[in-house]
Parts: sequence; structure tokens; C-alpha cells
Amino acid sequence: MTTASQSPRRSVRPRPDAGCDVTYLHLVDNDVYGDWESVYRDNVHRLYRLMYARVGNRSDAEDLTSEVFATALRPLRLSASKGEVQSYLLVTAKTVLASHWRRRLGQQVTTIDPESDLSFLTERSTPDEPSDAPARVQQVLDALPDRYRRILQLRFLEACSIKEAAHAMQVTVANAKVLQHRALRMAARVSVEPGP
Amino acid sequence: MTSRRLSAFVDAVAAGRRPKRFRADPHDAEVLRAAIALRAARPGEAAPSESFVSDLFQQLSGRASSSLTPATQAARPPGLRTGLAAVAAAAVLIGGTAVVTGSLNRPAAKFGVAVQAPDETALRTGTFQAARGQVLGQIVAYRGSPSWVFMHVDVPNYDGPIVCMLQVDNGSTVAFGTFVVHHGAGQFSKIIGDVNLSHLRGARLVTSAGSPVAMATFAA
Repeated sequence: MTTASQSPRRSVRPRPDAGCDVTYLHLVDNDVYGDWESVYRDNVHRLYRLMYARVGNRSDAEDLTSEVFATALRPLRLSASKGEVQSYLLVTAKTVLASHWRRRLGQQVTTIDPESDLSFLTERSTPDEPSDAPARVQQVLDALPDRYRRILQLRFLEACSIKEAAHAMQVTVANAKVLQHRALRMAARVSVEPGP
Repeated sequence: MTSRRLSAFVDAVAAGRRPKRFRADPHDAEVLRAAIALRAARPGEAAPSESFVSDLFQQLSGRASSSLTPATQAARPPGLRTGLAAVAAAAVLIGGTAVVTGSLNRPAAKFGVAVQAPDETALRTGTFQAARGQVLGQIVAYRGSPSWVFMHVDVPNYDGPIVCMLQVDNGSTVAFGTFVVHHGAGQFSKIIGDVNLSHLRGARLVTSAGSPVAMATFAA
């Protein structure tokens, strides 16, 4: 079932007791893009940030963002509303990311959900506005034992090499690797999916 | 036991390098998901570089001006990327999401003229699934002039020919063609002649020895 309205980025969520056939209806932006450049300029930063959050490195995020736009270029209809265009970009991004993980690892490590991630593309904040990802990661870190939290902070947030992290924690490199692995496993149990 | 490849992948994520591929298991995926979430939260690195944004724009502009065809031209069987786009487009057009209605045309300023997407009655899509339910790929059938079928599959650890059989709603099966899967990945597109797409029920993929690989049923 579909719906549309002038108001962007609103989700109509069914009441909790509405039954198990849950459908999230998004009220999409009825404005249209004037040209392809507008589509690109309005979405490239947000789409890149979404991809970066899902792969964690610039090279892959750039490749996947490029692939989404290259793939979307031909079939996209410019007279579709902004909400429709952004939904289409997200569906394409979902497919591109899924294909990436199949090729890279044979496992879906991260995913894009066109339902829950639509608000990310359609939100009216500036593209450079900080995301809430650091806050959510901090929540995960806070749930870990001190040494697990410290090794992950050093390695992933403070850009230390494994050798530097081992030195900072006064353990051997081998111990630091084991510590990192165990910390990641525990963090995986605490957290679920990375957000943009 | 920590595998060396998993460890190397995590090291690459931590360093912001492109990780190398390996065959991961679900437990590896959990660890990598956590590592990616942590790395992506590093302050100041989530935004794209301006050079990337401008270079990609130039590339897309060039591609658009050289490859886009007028809206009046018939759709052709797609390559892999456009095929994925067709799948995505079909998902948007047919999937019942809150998007895309009607036939729309508007002059495209910078990128030339956009091809009109097929309407929902012209596209039929299905998902290839193995016997255990694993999703292996997708198939798109397009009714037009000419009509065509495109499919792509990812069959882990398989190299070799795959035979595609189209299933008709009267119970018969039509041999449609054979394509080769390399390192697990393959795609196939072909123009079809006298087959009425509305009578297609789905498709079946088998190895050249006849072993079943996957089946897809077209959405109604």
C-alpha cells in the first residue's frame, strides 16, 4: 500500500497491537529534481556516508557509491518525486552492497534496509552533520570490560597499529591480537548493525 | 580459533584499507560487523572527499552523454550493472513500496535524456533460491519490442555451465539457454521471441549434468 504527502521524512508506524502484518508507510517528498545534477548533489554525500558506515573504508565506499549512481543512471526517471528517487537509490544501494559482500566474503556482513534507512537519505539535516554512530559505538564500548574497551578504542578510534596498541597496554603483540579478537566478539554480541 | 585471513581483514578495517576477500563464516561476519561499526565511528572520516565527489560527477556526466538512449528507443537486454538496476527498478515498481507511479517524462538537463523505465506490466521479476532457501540470484523478464530475459547468479564454489529452463504456466518447460559461471558468478541475457511473458511461471537452473541449482518463481 502506498501513500504520499508534502511532508518529508515521516513514518507512519502501526500501533503495536495492530497485528503481525506490519507495514511501515513513508510519507515521501513530493518535490521533484530538476535535473540529474540535482539528484547527484543532493544524495552523493549521504549515500557515501551510508556506504562508509556499512564497509568502514574509503576505497570500498567510493566504489560502491559510484556503482549505485552508475547503475541508477539509466533507468531513473527524473520526473519522479524526490522521495521516489531516493527510495530507488536506496533499493539500488541495497543490491549493490549485497553483491559486494557476496563477492568479498560470501556473507552478508552489513545490509541496507530501504525501510529503515530511507529516513537517512530524506532527512533535512546537512550532509556534513555528524551522525549518531559515535554515540552508539560508545554505548557498545561502555558495555565491555575495561581492557576490551581499551584495545578497541586504541585500534579503531585512535588509529593505533597493533604494535602501538600492545605497547600502550603493556602486553605482547600476540596478546593484543587475542584481546582484540575477544573484544570484537563481545562487541558483536552487544551491538547489532552499524548505522550511518 | 582466529583465522589468519579474518585477522588480516580486521587489520585492514582498523587501518582503513580495502580488505582482501576470503570465504567467511557467519561467526566471522559478526566480528567484522563490529569492527566496521567501530571503524566507521572514527571522528572526521565519514564524509566523502571533494575530489571524489567532483570526479564521480564528471564520470557520470560523460557516461550519461555517451550511453543514454532516447526514451522512444526500445529497451535492450542489460549488462550486469544495468541488470541489477533493472532488478532494483522492478523492486521499486512492483514491490508495493510507497513509491513510483505512472509514466513520467521530463527533460534531463545535464545528463541527457533518461530512458523511460518499463511500466509494471512490462517487467516480471523473480529470485533464484536453492533447495534450502539460499538466495542465489535474480531474474528479470521484460515484455517489449524486443522482449528479453536477464538473470544473474552467485553460486558459491561453482565453476561451469548452467542451463536455464523457463517454466510455462501450462506445466511445460522450455530450454532457454546455457551460460557459464566463473568463480561462482554468472549472468545471462537473451532476447526471447514468441513466448508470452504473462504465461511464464518461473525459471529453473540446472548443471549440465542435470543437477538442480536453483528455482525462481515470477511474482504475480
